[in-house]
Amino acid sequence: MTEDHDDRNDHPTRREFLRRGGSAVAVAAGATAAGLLLYDPTGKRGLGRPAPLKLKNYFASIDYGASEPHLSVARGRDVARMVSAALEPMGGMKRFVKVGDVVLLKPNVAFDRAPTMGATTSPALVAEVARLCRQAGAKKVIVADNPIESPEGCFAKTGIGQAAREAGAVVMLPSASHFREVAVRDTPPDAGRGEILGSWSILWPPLAEADKVIGLPTVKDHNLCYASLGMKGWYGLLGGRRNQFHQAIHEIISDLGYMISPTLMIADGTRVLMRNGPTGGRLQDVKAGNTIVAAVDQVACDAWCYENLLGRDPAKLAYLEMAWEKFGRGQLPHRLGQRDWQDYKRRGLVAEVNV
Amino acid sequence: MRITTVRIICQSVLFCVFLALSLLTTFAYLDSLPGLKLWLSKFLEIDPLIAISTAITTHTVYKGLLWSLVLLVPTLFLGRFFCDWMCPYGSLHHFVGWAFNRRNTKHRIESNRHRPLYRFKYYLLVALLAAAVLGSLQIGLLDPLCLLHRSVAVSVAPTWDMAVTAIERGLDVNLSTWRFRLDPGVYQLGWVIGAILFVLVALNVVIPRFFCRSLCPLGATLGFFSRFSLWRIDRDPDRCTHCDLCLRSCEAACDPQADLRKAECFVCFNCVEECPHDALRFAFVPAGRREISGTDVAGRRAVFAAVAGFLFYPFARASARTKRDFSSKAIRPPGAVEEQEFLERCVKCGQCMRVCPTNVLQPAVFEAGVEGLWTPVMNYRIGFCQTSCTACGHVCPTGAIQHLSVAQKLGAGPHEQAGPVRLGTAHFDRGRCLPWSKNIPCVVCEEVCPTSPKAIYSERMQLAIRDGAKQVVAAGDRAVTLAEQPRPGEFVAESARFEFNQFAGDQTTRYFVEILHADGVREVHPIASNDIDTLLIADRWHQTPAAGETAVIMIEFRVPKVDVSRCTGCGLCEHECPVVSDRRAVYVTAEGETRSQHYQEAGRNRSVRLLQSSGAS
Repeated sequence: MTEDHDDRNDHPTRREFLRRGGSAVAVAAGATAAGLLLYDPTGKRGLGRPAPLKLKNYFASIDYGASEPHLSVARGRDVARMVSAALEPMGGMKRFVKVGDVVLLKPNVAFDRAPTMGATTSPALVAEVARLCRQAGAKKVIVADNPIESPEGCFAKTGIGQAAREAGAVVMLPSASHFREVAVRDTPPDAGRGEILGSWSILWPPLAEADKVIGLPTVKDHNLCYASLGMKGWYGLLGGRRNQFHQAIHEIISDLGYMISPTLMIADGTRVLMRNGPTGGRLQDVKAGNTIVAAVDQVACDAWCYENLLGRDPAKLAYLEMAWEKFGRGQLPHRLGQRDWQDYKRRGLVAEVNV
Repeated sequence: MRITTVRIICQSVLFCVFLALSLLTTFAYLDSLPGLKLWLSKFLEIDPLIAISTAITTHTVYKGLLWSLVLLVPTLFLGRFFCDWMCPYGSLHHFVGWAFNRRNTKHRIESNRHRPLYRFKYYLLVALLAAAVLGSLQIGLLDPLCLLHRSVAVSVAPTWDMAVTAIERGLDVNLSTWRFRLDPGVYQLGWVIGAILFVLVALNVVIPRFFCRSLCPLGATLGFFSRFSLWRIDRDPDRCTHCDLCLRSCEAACDPQADLRKAECFVCFNCVEECPHDALRFAFVPAGRREISGTDVAGRRAVFAAVAGFLFYPFARASARTKRDFSSKAIRPPGAVEEQEFLERCVKCGQCMRVCPTNVLQPAVFEAGVEGLWTPVMNYRIGFCQTSCTACGHVCPTGAIQHLSVAQKLGAGPHEQAGPVRLGTAHFDRGRCLPWSKNIPCVVCEEVCPTSPKAIYSERMQLAIRDGAKQVVAAGDRAVTLAEQPRPGEFVAESARFEFNQFAGDQTTRYFVEILHADGVREVHPIASNDIDTLLIADRWHQTPAAGETAVIMIEFRVPKVDVSRCTGCGLCEHECPVVSDRRAVYVTAEGETRSQHYQEAGRNRSVRLLQSSGAS
């Protein structure tokens, strides 16, 4: 270890001085530079979250005329024929889905219920719509929802998982890492006008990937907001502490309608849960509705289903009024939100067919 | 003057400065001397390990931590001088070892030889930095300045205050200038922190500078940077006779008798003075041969240490307490950042606990998970959050608690739209609350609630008093004479026996009598006064009571409720509640805290009300 008989060079060579001195100076300079680069004088720099992401308007690219049917009702018993019959007056699925599109289908998979209970979307409807999308040339069809109960259990028990896969669609199950903060509106929400959401944690990957979004809600009673229809169905895209929204449920549902402008809504009125919604659980609460409604206007669709399938007065459903106020009066481009569906009927924009 | 004398003076002065700053970190002194506020956490601000590790976790260098360059740059040139010239903990170890580790020369020499054990601090440092890379800051557990600040706050200062108080009482004198708090602070499980301090210092009796040599992560950091130093202790091989006397007082066990371990040497100069042959000197860049420049650790073991550090993060976070299973008791100070960011910043220095005027800030045990050990949480049995106080944020060196202005904290002036900073929400346990369950008027909680308008409000409630149902005997214009309700089989009811003006009431509590007429009509009237069996009402009967009808005497008092949109979670209510056990009638939990309101993930967000973030008014 010790080297007593070494050369007596007590002074460093110039090279060694430069090497060692240089390294010391370099590290000092590097540390100072790093410190200044990372310097946070206010203390706020290291905090905060990334800016929220923005959703596309999934209806904007559809060239849909003002005199074409905005609501199309098909009555019958065969789901596949009813879907085609409902879409036919609107130009068929190819009007909405173009070749190469990625389509997101958003059914109601909220609970771990068999399809006969009417609490979730009929798997036959999901399969048929997926099939039609692929037939229209869609590159990929995604089926996604963020259920209240366990996703794997819900997709299995409702039959929607299997139906989707058999129809060639991809099922995207939600996991915590899929949720990102998405902007709902550009300005801070004005609570006085019933605006609640500025941004929220949303199931992002399927919405980001999709070119078109088709809502496939079920039509059912709801203990708090009186009916869970199309706009309420977007709740299934929410993450985070969505369990607080019941404190202002009508404001939230209309905000959800504001947040997302879907390509198309196809409401499942085949089995209508008339009481004890949204979870249901008794067959005697389910009525055979035998109806499927296709619509480009999610508010009108909700109003029609509320009146004609649940037998209730849409003028008394608060979130329809609020949605009308927020985006229904034509104040936003490519947004439809007419709560008075009779107005469409008077203008001949409602198609009805029996199969 | 000998250089070691200069060093001893430097150590002593800086130790006293440290102790003074630590003791002066109290609310009373925060604004008393101009500029003092900037100095109170200065020892923490010059600590390069705090700066580096928080730079790793937060990708920023928070405010005063830039001062760490003042220590880092000289270390690059001079070596690890901090450990024996400046570090107050090092000075404490040095002193205790010098005073109590008395051995003969031979034993002292042996005890100061370098041991492989001393490499452990580098592995520890690697593990701590690995955990920091993933986002868990745990250096505060063993960093000497954090450890010492924490121990002073939690154990030493209260001991000092208790001693001063005892002397004051014993000798009946006023020593208030020597007491740094009005009352000695109390800190939950503080004895553990004090015991750790004591044990680590006591180990000097067995192995000199045990902590500094084998555990100190700051020493390991400075040792790492010492590899570039241009000056160091150098041994002249011609003069050296291998007597090993230089080891007798070697503080660092850095082998001055052989190849100097630069990463260990504390530059204490003891060896230079001990050497009888003047073979040692502090020299400018001598040839690199007679030294071991680097830290001399085994690469593979360092990798193992890194793996251990990396594993700490997922093991700790998977334990639920940080996110989904957060404890209702994990209430953080005002100005605290959201929890995951908090765990990236808090170095457990205890400065906030020291400065807090109400002693509400306590070192957590496992309320916030294992990562949250000794981080500050509020304990509203012990204290409460003083309404206009923002002291904790002013002494936090890393921004775990941000500076808040009083206006920001209260949601006043320009911050009215944003609303106040909320720490949590109060809840009533109606089964324990005196008015709610025991018919005893109270509402101290409403009285002390500091918000305007008050978050705790009271509603008037009327309840029948115990044995309040009586029978009407006779009634006049404004009076009614009562008897006890007859027991089964009794013909003549016993006359009522009240105390004089028992039901006269006062401003807080009023009494009412409810008459249930035979025809089913009820009327309620306030009682003005009473004598032994007759009540006098304040107004007039609508329908004069008839004999045999039932009269119920009722007490009306106020019962408290919380307006969640106004509650800031300050804990004054819980603190003042007369139901004084740890299960109080009103208690605060972390729900509703504003620090996490903008965070979306379910586990990170603790809001209660949807519209809580919008302005309270």
